[in-house]
This record gives sequence, C-alpha cells and structure tokens, in this order.
Amino acid sequence: MTTAPQPRRWWRAALAVPPVAFLLVFFVWPVAAILLKGLRPDGAWDLSALGDVLTDPVIRRVAWFTLWQAVLSTALCVVAGLPGAALFARFRFAGKRFLWAALLVPFVLPTVVVGVALLGVIGPNGVSGVDLSGTLWAVLVAHVFFNYAVVVRTVGGAWSTVDPRLEEAARTLGASPWRAFREVTWPLLRPAVAAASSIVFLFTFTSFGVVLVVGGVRQRTLEVEIYDQTARFLHLDVAAALALVQLVVVVAALAWFGRTQRRRAVVLDQRPAAEVARRPRGWRERAFVGTNLLFMAALLGVPLAVLVVRSFDAPAGWGTGNYQALDTARRGSTSFVPPVEAITNSLLFALAATVVAVVLGGCAAWAVAGSGREPSPRWARWTDTALMVPLGTSAVTVGFGMFVAFGDPPLELRSSVWLVPLAHAVVAIPFVIRLLVPALRSIDPQLREAAGVLGASPWRVWREVDLPVVSRALAAAAGFAFAVSLGEFGATVFLARPERPTLPVAIYRFLGQPGPLNFGQAMALSVVLMALTVIVIMAIDRLRPIGSAEF
Amino acid sequence: MTTDPPPANPAPVRRPTRLVLVGLALVLAVVAAACGGGESSKDDTPATVGPAISQGQLPTFDPGTTITVVTHDSFAVSEDVLTQFTDATNVEVRLVPSGDAVAAVNKAILTAGDPEGDVLFGIDENLLASAFAADLFVPYEARGLSTVPEQYQVDPEHRVTPIDHGDVCINYDRTWFREKDLEVPTSFEDLLDPELKGKLVVEDPSSSTPGLAFLLATVAAQGGGDDDSSSAAWLQYWQKLKDNGVKVVDGWETAYNVDFSGSAGKGDRPLVVSYASSPPVEVTDPSTPPEDAPTGVLADTCYRQTEFAGILRGAGKAEAAGAFIEFMLSLPFQEDMPEQMYVYPVNSQAVLPEAWERYTTPVEDPLALPFEEVGARREAWIQQWAGLFR
Repeated sequence: MTTAPQPRRWWRAALAVPPVAFLLVFFVWPVAAILLKGLRPDGAWDLSALGDVLTDPVIRRVAWFTLWQAVLSTALCVVAGLPGAALFARFRFAGKRFLWAALLVPFVLPTVVVGVALLGVIGPNGVSGVDLSGTLWAVLVAHVFFNYAVVVRTVGGAWSTVDPRLEEAARTLGASPWRAFREVTWPLLRPAVAAASSIVFLFTFTSFGVVLVVGGVRQRTLEVEIYDQTARFLHLDVAAALALVQLVVVVAALAWFGRTQRRRAVVLDQRPAAEVARRPRGWRERAFVGTNLLFMAALLGVPLAVLVVRSFDAPAGWGTGNYQALDTARRGSTSFVPPVEAITNSLLFALAATVVAVVLGGCAAWAVAGSGREPSPRWARWTDTALMVPLGTSAVTVGFGMFVAFGDPPLELRSSVWLVPLAHAVVAIPFVIRLLVPALRSIDPQLREAAGVLGASPWRVWREVDLPVVSRALAAAAGFAFAVSLGEFGATVFLARPERPTLPVAIYRFLGQPGPLNFGQAMALSVVLMALTVIVIMAIDRLRPIGSAEF
Repeated sequence: MTTDPPPANPAPVRRPTRLVLVGLALVLAVVAAACGGGESSKDDTPATVGPAISQGQLPTFDPGTTITVVTHDSFAVSEDVLTQFTDATNVEVRLVPSGDAVAAVNKAILTAGDPEGDVLFGIDENLLASAFAADLFVPYEARGLSTVPEQYQVDPEHRVTPIDHGDVCINYDRTWFREKDLEVPTSFEDLLDPELKGKLVVEDPSSSTPGLAFLLATVAAQGGGDDDSSSAAWLQYWQKLKDNGVKVVDGWETAYNVDFSGSAGKGDRPLVVSYASSPPVEVTDPSTPPEDAPTGVLADTCYRQTEFAGILRGAGKAEAAGAFIEFMLSLPFQEDMPEQMYVYPVNSQAVLPEAWERYTTPVEDPLALPFEEVGARREAWIQQWAGLFR
C-alpha cells in the first residue's frame, strides 16, 4: 500500500467524475440549451435583452428585494433554528424521533397546500386572528416554516457529535453559559451553520411558489419574473438575461460560503450521539426544552393541524368521508388516481432519486472533503461550488431547459419517467454534499492514519472510520434527498409523466377543481403525504451501518 | 500512513478535466444506447387533413395505432367514453397533462415542428394569436362543427376546433349576502359599492387564466382597450376596484380555496372570480332548491372562454388525430365533459347533467373580445395593470 499523496489525490479526482458528469448532462446542458435559445435566437448572439434587463429599474428593484429578503430569511432561519438544533443535540425527550422526522413535513407539501396551511393561521379568517397575507411578513414566516428543518437537522446533527465535556470544562473554568457557547461550541458548529445557511439562502433566493401564494402580487422575486417571462410570455431572451443575473449572484454567494466553510473547519474528537444527549435536568433545562417545543408547535404544529382538521371536514359532516372518497369519488375518470398507486409512484420516484443523490453526492463529498489535513485543491473547491448551483437556479429554467434539451436523440428523455427522479437528484445532491462535507472534515486524520498503520486497507478504513462517523449526516442527507423528491421539487412540475401520477400531482388535481369534496380530498391526501413522510424519514434515520455505534 | 502537504504542482489539476470528459462520454454513450431506437417522423404531415368521418362513422386504423394528446392539467374524461373511441377506431389514446393551459401551449410553441403529441387540447382564445404565429397547427375542418353554434367558431381557417366553453364570472356566497341582508350585485358598477369594500378577491392576470379573463371582461365592458395611458377607462375602473379593497392573489386555487367565503376553505371574501360552472359543485345535498344553492354567479360579469383542440404540425398521425377531434365533438364526449372538467359542451345537441340544469344560469351573452385584439394587446394590458397593482 502506498501512502504518498499523489495516488490518493488521483482517487479523489476519480471520485468527482461521476457527479460532475451527471451535473453536465442533467443540469449544464439543459440550462445552456434554454439560455442559448434566448440569447442566440437565430444562431447569432443577441445580448440586447441583457442590457435592457440590467438597466431596467423595475428589475433592479426586484433583484434587490430578492437578495435582501433572502439574507433576512436566512438570518431568521438560523436564529430560529439554533435553539432547536441544541434541543435535538443535547436532550432526550418523549417523541424525539418522531419530531426529528416531522420537521421535514413542510418540505414535501405542495406549495398551494402550504399556502392553505399557513394562510389558515396568518391569512384571512386565520386562527391567529392576524391577516398577514400579501405582506413581506407572510413571506418571511413561510420561509422559516420551510427551512427550519434545514437548520435544525443540519446543525443539530453536527452538534450532537460535539463532546459536551468541552463546554463543561469551560464552565468549570468559570465561563458563563453564553461565553462557553460562544467560545467553545459555536466555533465547532460554524461549518454546519455555514452549510445550512448556504442551502437556506439558495432556497429563499430562488423562492417562487410560496412567495406567489402567501406574498400576493407585491412581493416579487427574480424567480417569479423568470417564471412569468418563460412560462407565461415566452420571452426567452429576457428570461435568459434574468437567469444569468440570478446565476451570478448564486455563484458569488456560494464562493463566499465556500470560503467561510473551509476557513472554519475544525477537526473534532467526535462522540457518539447517545453519549451526548440526556434528559433535561433542573428548571432551566426544562424551560429550554419546553420553550423550544412550544415554538415548534406554533411554527409547524398549528399550520399542519389546520390541514388535519380540514381533512376530516367532509361534505357529509365530520369524519373520514374525504379519505373514503379518495378511492371512490372519481373512479372511472382518466384523472382518477388510486391513492395506493400514487403512494407507490411517489415512493419509487423518491427512492430512485435518493439512491442516485446519495451515491453521486457521496462520491462528490469524499472527493471534495479531502483527508482533513491537506487543504482541498482548487478543482475540488470548484466542483463543490458547481454541484451546489442547481439548488440556486430557477426551476422553470431547468424544467424548460430539460424539455428543450431532451427532445431529440441522443438523450430522448423528454417523455421518459426516468427524467423525473434524475431531475430530483440534481436538486438533492447539494444536500448530500453540504451535510457530508463538514462531517467528513471533522474526522481526525489520526484516526484514519492509526487504522492504516494497524494494517487496515483503505476500503476498511473508509468502512470502519469514515462511514460510522458520518452515518448520522448521511442519514440526514438521505432524508433531505427523499423529502426533496417526495415534494416534487422545482423543475419536475414542468416535466410530464402521465403514466405515473404522484401524490403531489394528485393533490394539485383536486385543488384545481371547485367543490367541498375536491378540497376535502386534497386535504386528506396531504395528510396521507405527511404521514408517509414521517414514517419513511423515521425509517431512514434508523438506518445505520451494522455494528457501529450511533454517532 | 502519512499525508504530507501537497507539493505546489499544477499537473494534477489537469487530470480531472480529462477524467471528466471521459466520464461524460461514457455516460452519454450508455444513455444513448439505452434510449436508442426512438422513432422520428417529421414533416410528413399533409398541409391540411381531410375529414376523418365518412357517413357519420369514425374511420378505423391499424390496430396498435396510438395517438398522444397533450392537455392542460385539468383535462379529464371517463375511461369508458375514451374506450368507445378506441373500440370504434382501433386508436389508443395516450394523455399527457402538461401544466396549465398557458404552460402547455408555450411548451408546444417551444417544440413547434417536433411536437410532444399529435393533438393539443385546451388552448383558449387568449393564446390563439401566439399559437398561430408559431404555426403550431395543421388546419382541419371537422364535420362535427355542424352542431356547433357560430359564436364558438372563431378561426375561419380551422386550425383549431372549439370543444367546450366555461365562462369566467364572479361567483358570490349566497349565505353571506343573506346574513348581511344585502342586495347581490349585478353589474360591474355595483362592485364599487362601499358596502362591498374589501369583499372581492381576483386572480393576478399575469399568472392566472381566470384572472386574465376577468381583466379582459373589464376591458370589454368598460372600454379603453386601445388606450396605452394610465387614464384608460378600464384601468380607471380597476383603480376604483383597488380603492374599494379588491384583493389580488396568485391563482384560482388560492382565491377560491383560501379567500372565498363560499367554498370549503371558508375565507373572508364573499365575491370571487371563478367559473359559471362552479356553483353546482358546491351543492352537496341534491334536494337543495336552486335559490338556496350555496353560491351563485353574477351573469353580467361573465367573459367567454372557449377551449379548442388542434392537430399539431409535425406529428406523424394527423388522420387519427382528426378522428379524435371528431370524437371530441360527438355526443358521448360532449355530454361527459361537464362532470369531468366542469365546462359546458359546444355541441348544441348535448344534454346537460341534471345538477347543471338546476344550479347553473345559462349565460346568454357573455362579454368577449376578438382573439386577434387580445393577442396583440394582452401583454400591454397586463403591463398597464401591473403598473397599478405592483
């Protein structure tokens, strides 16, 4: 076995090939196809639209709003999510596993359903008594509702491997709890916080559906403009110019986040999560747990409860009428989707997307993270940034791009069902990378070296050192990938897959029709989707390499 | 095992580039091999398609013939009705829901000449001009048009065939008006009544089909459609609506399910822009007398919205596609549409379902604008409107 750096780097580069090739085929090519259709309409470059867009005061205002609302939303999500992360990392309490999985529910619900849920609380006749619909506040609340899970699950996962004795030692030496957190725990968490922030920023910067539903006509993001120009007016030149503006901001933001993450990565002596979490002691800790749970109940519980309550409000009176109708009401129509079939389709798509995302994202993460001691080479940093870009790219650009690019051989995938999980994977891969890289970088390289000195093959080192330590991050990543796919994220709503309608597709069909039965069935099916999400995510969270302690 | 800091050696940087290219080539080769054998049949469409019906019979085709019908997401038909078509012609129908009507048509324009399907169903008047400009359709004069009133046959060249209409009207919550003991408004002017301040919810015309139809209704009713200034009569009407607290939301789903008080969503606004066909679906007890139905329609605010089907240029199976258009105009399909898609048939011989006879008010003379004018002015109107509301 050679230990010189050269062959190791070669392996790392080889690992990066499959994800990069995947990105080129399923992201770069379609996006380039639709942008070129706009910027080179008749085979000759026409950049006049770019100039018009850059000088248009309305667009400037929209771009500025998009940027600052994203920064504000990201900051709010981090502030709201950190206590939640601490809760899951440090304490054991009843229903913890359930709650950890349930955090992801907002992720999978179709936008209009989220709109119904949130506006049932902060909309007209909402249970809170305050109507925020159409305001910036509603957009911010919606963004926190969506992205709370990103912060809690990403940072909470990292936090749960931080040895609590570090903070305890600081306390013993006389530091206040705040100072112990700020000077001991916070620096160790920064890579995970940066990872979560970058995802939240990309999501909120390209926020579309939820902005339309709760923000009304006033709160417009670049993404909304791109959607209008592409899908509504077919002004591909303007849309391409706007998409380029969006892309430039996203790449700049990613480069900044990347630098932050690299500079602050700290090698940790990690502890298994089971050693770290304990039952709350004393009134302070109980109050902390209680306040956290109350906050989650208000932020997530109440809106989702609105859906559950409405799902039992059937035309014939309270009861399971809406659920029973799912399998009967539209039987015999081409628009009828047997619920079991929708569930099966959703699960199959999500499973395929998760496997692709975890395998390719895993390859990329190991390639990018390096061994912990040497700094990442430049190509690795650029690969890292490039693989994140899909998360920050307009979904309508990708969707229409795929539609244009995959219409002809060699990749005639336009009406193939395979395009759907592959498109989901493009969006899910960044999650896998963002969650794995900080975890991998925190592994003490001495562990690997010690294993190597004792005669373990690289494969065995990977299996018995890397894998157990990152298994928690890996499960969290798989959970996100699954949720992203289950929720029909972004681009795929523009891809047709007539033979295999999924749960969100079926929900949209009901919501598109008038009448209390259709509405009730949409609510019932949403509750089914919620339950399915919690069950599957709980199962994924339990997956661990056999024989390893839970980190 | 030790790891030294990497030497300052630029050589390894080049290696991944080669690897990436090799990897990409491999992926491409595998995928291309996996989905090879795609049939391509382009430019073999005749300029026009002859009538598919001879002596009232649909023609038959080779067994195994399949046509693809691109639709909007709201398309639905009874399975057994669709089977009647297959039994009569041997043609299997594959349905491809493709987003809402605007997205479906724009995707068709993007792929003009190399279409995703043989027939496009669900294009409305407002989209005709851009579809015609892109030369999307092969003309086909259906025999079945003899049953369709003149008012729906807007294209003398028969590039598209009218299939259904579903007028866009303001719906009201009857209970709310009864409880408040207020007169139900009838005209556009009535909507400006201070008693109705903050009671109307409409959809954004740039993102919503019924929202656009309602904007067109105001242009048709108030006039000023050729006026680009902010003093256009229809725009001044919107100014008054705004002063009277009209709420604009992104789409029908939100307006009807969240804000409208007469739906299951139980919002706080008793007036909403929806369809003439919405009220029967809100009736859950069939013994309800029509005057007590939960919701009703303001007939004078209705705007005509006809949906058309066309044979996509470049598709291989234009004859079978023509047969399907004939079938869509025939009574089995036409009488199936109301309960499946909540739209009215255009075939004057079609019988409406009982609930529709009971709970819908026929709109005798809905507002309308020529599709050429809508095509030419639509974006300008939306811009003017946006200037007021954004």
